[in-house]
Amino acid sequence: MVELWNIYIWPLIWILAKILLIVIPLFLAVAYLVWSERKVIGLMQQRMGPNVVGPWGIWQSFADVLKLLLKETILPTGANKIVFLIAPMLTFVLAFVAWAVIPVGEGWVLANINVGIMYLFAISSLGVYGIVMAGWASNSRYSFLGAMRSAAQMVSYEISMGLVIVTVLMCVGSLNLTDIVEAQRTVWYVVPLLPMAVVFFISTLAETNRHPFDLPEAEAELVAGYQTEYSAMSFALFFVGEYANMIMMSSMTVILFLGGWLPPMDIAPFNWLPGPLWFGIKVAAILFIFIWARAAFPRYRYDQLMRLGWKVFLPMSLLWVVGTAGVLVAFDLAP
Amino acid sequence: MTMAFAQFTPALPEIILAVAAMVLLMFGVFRGDGSTRSVTWMAVLSLVIAWFALMSGDMPDGSGGKIVAFNGLFVNDGFGLFMKTLVLLASSLALIMSLGYMRTENMERFEFPVLIVLATLGMLVMISANDLMSLYLGIELQSLSLYIVAAFKRDSEKATEAGLKYFVLGALSSGMLLYGASMIYGYAGSTNFDDLAKSFHGAEHISVGLIVGMVFLFAGLAFKISAVPFHMWTPDVYEGAPTPVTAFFAVAPKVAALALLARVIMSPFGELIDQWQQIIVVLSMASMVLGAVAAVGQRNIKRLMAYSSIGHVGFALVGLASGTNEGVRGVLIYLIIYLVMNVGTFAVILSMRVKDTMVESIDDLAGLGRNQPLLAMAMAIFMFSLAGIPPMAGFFGKFYVFMAAINSGLYALAIVGVVASVVGAFYYLRIIKIMYFDEPVEAFEKPLRTEMGAIMTVAGLFTLFFFVLPAPFLAAAQSAAQALLP
Amino acid sequence: MIVHALAFYLFAAVVVASAVMVVMARNPVHSVLFLILAFFSAAGLFVLLGAEFLAMLLVVVYVGAVAVLFLFVVMMLDVNFAALREGVLDYLPYGLVVGLVMLVELGMLYGAWVTGPEVAMMATSPMPDIAQVSNTEALGQLLYTKYIYLFQAAGMILLVAMIGAIVLSNRQRDGVRRQVIANQVARTRKDAVEMKKVTPGGGI
Repeated sequence: MVELWNIYIWPLIWILAKILLIVIPLFLAVAYLVWSERKVIGLMQQRMGPNVVGPWGIWQSFADVLKLLLKETILPTGANKIVFLIAPMLTFVLAFVAWAVIPVGEGWVLANINVGIMYLFAISSLGVYGIVMAGWASNSRYSFLGAMRSAAQMVSYEISMGLVIVTVLMCVGSLNLTDIVEAQRTVWYVVPLLPMAVVFFISTLAETNRHPFDLPEAEAELVAGYQTEYSAMSFALFFVGEYANMIMMSSMTVILFLGGWLPPMDIAPFNWLPGPLWFGIKVAAILFIFIWARAAFPRYRYDQLMRLGWKVFLPMSLLWVVGTAGVLVAFDLAP
Repeated sequence: MTMAFAQFTPALPEIILAVAAMVLLMFGVFRGDGSTRSVTWMAVLSLVIAWFALMSGDMPDGSGGKIVAFNGLFVNDGFGLFMKTLVLLASSLALIMSLGYMRTENMERFEFPVLIVLATLGMLVMISANDLMSLYLGIELQSLSLYIVAAFKRDSEKATEAGLKYFVLGALSSGMLLYGASMIYGYAGSTNFDDLAKSFHGAEHISVGLIVGMVFLFAGLAFKISAVPFHMWTPDVYEGAPTPVTAFFAVAPKVAALALLARVIMSPFGELIDQWQQIIVVLSMASMVLGAVAAVGQRNIKRLMAYSSIGHVGFALVGLASGTNEGVRGVLIYLIIYLVMNVGTFAVILSMRVKDTMVESIDDLAGLGRNQPLLAMAMAIFMFSLAGIPPMAGFFGKFYVFMAAINSGLYALAIVGVVASVVGAFYYLRIIKIMYFDEPVEAFEKPLRTEMGAIMTVAGLFTLFFFVLPAPFLAAAQSAAQALLP
Repeated sequence: MIVHALAFYLFAAVVVASAVMVVMARNPVHSVLFLILAFFSAAGLFVLLGAEFLAMLLVVVYVGAVAVLFLFVVMMLDVNFAALREGVLDYLPYGLVVGLVMLVELGMLYGAWVTGPEVAMMATSPMPDIAQVSNTEALGQLLYTKYIYLFQAAGMILLVAMIGAIVLSNRQRDGVRRQVIANQVARTRKDAVEMKKVTPGGGI
C-alpha cells in the first residue's frame, strides 16, 4: 500500500499540481492579453479601449467570459454535431498541452523531453485540425471557405517554420528546449540568425492566423470565417485557444532566438531578476509586436500570402539552412 | 571535423550528372522554353564530362578489382565502366537526335533534356548497384523519368496512353521486384550483394522462399528489359512515345537493365546458377521467338522496332544464360553493336518526314532507293545488320552469344536462336524490298539535318566495317566481363 | 510498469478501433478524421517504444501535413461514396477467396520458413546503445552517414516526380492577368496620372 502511494499517487498529485501551476497563470495571461490588445490598439488608434468594467477596464475579460458562459450554445441544424463540438475543444486542448515542455526558467518545466522542439512543432501543426473541422462541420459557406484558407495557409508556413527550426537546431546540436536556451549563453541566436528570426516571427503570425494573415476569419469577406456559426462556450474555447496559441508561439520565438530565461547580459543589474521573469518580459515584448502588427498592417490578399510563403520564405530559409550548415562545417563550429 | 570527401569520388560521374541536372533545371526555369536548344547541348556536354570523370577516376583495370563505396551500397568495376560508357553514349546520341524533332513538332521544352539526364543518372546508379536498395532506387529514378518522357507529348492521346500504360505496368513490376527483394532479405538477412553471395556460397540447401524471391526479382527486371512474357507494354509505348524518346527507350534503358541483370545473376546469385539458368533460358527463347514472329505483321515502323528490340533482348539473354565469362563477353559485344544499329535505324526513322509531318508507316519507305539512295543505303545496312547477315556487325553479335551458349551446352537455346533469327530476317529484308523494289511514294524532305547525317554515317560505317577491326571491342568486352566474373 | 502496459493497451485499442472506423465510416470526412486518430495513436505507441523522434516525425509529417491535404481533398470532392460502395456485396466472395488463399499461403510460408545459415551473423543489430546515443542521433547516423547514397538518390527521385507533375499538368493559360510586383513598384506618378485640360462643356 505504501509502495502504491509512493510510486503512483504522490507523483500523480505532484504532476497535477504542476499542471495547475502552468494552466492558471496561462488563463490569467490570456485574459490580460485580450484586455491589453484592446487597450493597446485603442491607444494606437487614439481611442480609449475598454474602460468601464473596473479601473482602466481591467475586469473586462472576466466580464466577457461570464457573458459567454451564461449564453446558450447554438447548434446549427445542418451541422455535423459531434465534429462541430469536438473542433473547439481540440483547438483549446492543443493550445494548452504544448505548454508541457516549455521551460520558463532553469528547471521550471513539466516534462523535459529529448525532442521538445519537435513536440512543439508537432502540436502546433495539429492546430489546423480544429479550424478545418469547425469549418466543415458548421455546414456554412463562410466557415468552409475560412477553413480551406486556413488549411492551405498553415501547411504552407509550417514548412518554412520547420526549416528555421532546423537552422537553430544545427547550431545547438540538440532538440531539447533547455539545451537550446543554454546554448545561447554567449549570444542570443537572434543576432547571428536575424533573417531567420524574422522569417520565424512572420510565420508564427501566419500560423496563429493573426493579422496581417487573418484571412481565415477575414470579417469583411467571410463574416468571421470558421467561427461564424459558433457561439457562447464553444466560441470561448476557440477564442481562448487562439490566444493561448499566440502566447505559445511567442514563447517558442523567445526560446529559439531570444535566449529563453537568460538575461541579456550576465552582469549586475540584469541578473538580479529571476529567470522566469525575464522569460515573461520577453514573451510580453513579442506579444506586443503581435498586437502592433495588427494595428499597423492591412490584410494580405490570398495570392500574396501564398507567394510570400512559397516563393520568398521557402527558398530563403532553404538557402539559410544550407549556408548555416556550410559555415558550421567550414569553421568547425558544429556542436 | 574532417569531411571524408574522398569516399565520394568513386561516384563522381553520378554526382556530376545530379548537379548538372539541377543546374540545367534552374537555367531552364529562368530562361524559359526558348532555351531548350542550349539546355540540350549543355546536357550533352554534362554527359561527356561525366564520361571523362568516369574514365579519369582511379579504376582498377579490368582484372577483377573493384571499388566499393558508401558502405557497400555502390560498386565501381571494369564491367560498370564499360556499361556506363555505353549508357552515356546512348543518352547523348538520343539527346542530339531529339533536337530537330522537338523543334519541328513544337515540343521544345527544357524539361526534356533535364529528364534524360536524370534518367541517365538512374541508369548509372543501376549499373553501380551493389545492394538491393540501391538497385531499386536506381530503377525507380530511371523509370520515373522514362514514364514522364513517354507522355511528354501531352496533347497527343497516344503519347498519354503510352505514358500511363508504362507507368501502371512499371509500378506493378516495381512491386514484384520489391516483393522479391523483401523475400530475399528475409531469408538471407542482408541486402548487400557481397553478403548475399557469401551466404549462398556452399549452402547445400536453398530454401523455397529464397527461390520465390529470386523469381519475383527476375520478373521485375525482365519487365525493365521487356523480355517475354513481360513485354506487353513495349509495342504500345514505343508507338505512342515521341520518336526520339523511342530511340532513347530502345537503347539506353535496355543496356542499363541488362547490365543490372547481368550483375545480379553473376554476382550475388552466381552460385545459384542451376536455379536461375532455366528462368533465363525460358525468357530468352520466348523473347526471340515472339520478337521474330509478331513483328511480321506490323505496318508501323516504331512498332516493328519494338518487336525487334524484344527479339534482340532475347538474343542478348542467350549469352547471360550460359553463365560463363564468354557469355558475358558475348552480351557486352552484342550490346555495343545493338546500340549502334538501333541509333542508326532511329536516325533514319527520324528523317522520315513528308510535308512537315512525321510519317511512321513502313509503306512510306517505298521507293526510297530511288528518291534518296544514300538514306536508303544506310537503312539497308542497318536492316541487314539487325537481321544478322554477315559481314554486318549484327552477325558478330549473334555469333559470340551463340558460341557461348554452345560451349556451355545449351544447344536447344542456340538452335531456337538461329531459327528465330532466320524468321526475323524476313521482316528486315521486307523493308529493304519495299525501299528498293516498290513503286515510289512521295519523297521525304531534304536535306537531312547535319547531326542526323553524321550519326547515320558513323553508325553505318561502324556496322559495315566492324569485321575489319573487332579486336579493340573484343578486348574491352573481355576485360569488362573479367571484372564481373573473375 | 502497470502504467506502461495500460498506455500500450489504450493506444493499441484506439489504433485498431479507428483503423476499423476508417473503413466502416459512412462519411468520407469521418474516415479521414479516424485515420488521423489512428496516426496519432500510432505515434503514442512509438513513444512507448522509446522512439520519440519517430513519433514526433509521424505527427509532424503524416498528421500535420499529409492528412491535412487528404482532408482538404476529401472535403472538396463531391463523390457519392454510397454509390461507390454499391458493388461491395457482389465482389465480397471473390475478395474472401483471395484473402483465404493469401492466408493459407502465408501459413505455408511460415511453416517452411528457413533462414539462410549466416543470417544470424549478418543481421547485426543496427541499434546503438541507447544510453550513449539518443535515437535522434542514431537515426541521423543511419540516414545521413551510412545510407547517404540512398538518401540522395531518393531525393533525386522526388525531384523527378516534381518535374513530372509540373511538365504533365501545368498549362500556361492565355488571357490570365498576373501580378508583376516589379512593374507595380516601378510605376511612377508620370505613368499613372495624366493632366488634362478640360474645357467647360467639352468633356474629355
